[in-house]
Amino acid sequence: MAIKDLTTTTARRPFQRRRKTCPFSGPNAPKIDYKDVRLLQRYVSERGKIVPSRITAVSALKQRELAKAIKRARFIGIMPYAVQ
Amino acid sequence: MALYEHIYLARQDVSPTQVEEMTAALTAVITEGGGKVTKNEYWGLKSLSYRIKKNRKAHYTLLNLDAPHQAIAEMERQMGINEDILRFLTIRVDELEEGPSAMMQKRDRDDDRGDRPGRPGGDRGGFDRGSRPPRRF
Repeated sequence: MAIKDLTTTTARRPFQRRRKTCPFSGPNAPKIDYKDVRLLQRYVSERGKIVPSRITAVSALKQRELAKAIKRARFIGIMPYAVQ
Repeated sequence: MALYEHIYLARQDVSPTQVEEMTAALTAVITEGGGKVTKNEYWGLKSLSYRIKKNRKAHYTLLNLDAPHQAIAEMERQMGINEDILRFLTIRVDELEEGPSAMMQKRDRDDDRGDRPGRPGGDRGGFDRGSRPPRRF
């Protein structure tokens, strides 16, 4: 019988420990622009998929704007939809 | 009048001078409709991330427009008819961006940047797995 070991729950949480602030909020925050491929590429995986905000610590509002910008960039062809 | 950002892609076989002529024709449509073209940026012949209508490269042009919607609609209608234009994107904005756009500024920094610093989550591995990582609380 496997009993969940509750004593090790706080040991490893590789995807939860980044509680940084949203990189797009606060002073001197870069503006999300669909033309700025360099900025958008930081929030896209190697396969070209949009990275979830629980990894990047982007706030919900900015994540929606970011997703919209990435999709526009994909539409005009400056970012790929998928990378092999 | 409303402010718009407009990007259009011309296919790679046309020459840059022809692209200029196309831009001039489009700006004429806008001004006839009672609008203004505040910025006209030509990004050059860029490689596309994927083939659009069998083209691997395209001429990118960015226009900042201040025009009534009828002029915009007329311009888009003419673009749809023109065979040399692959794609266009018109976005309504609250304020127009002054100065060179992000694409032009990036060009100057291209040499300095070199390799990007590690992407968030890129080094964690298993990034594109179908299932989420196990949640341990």
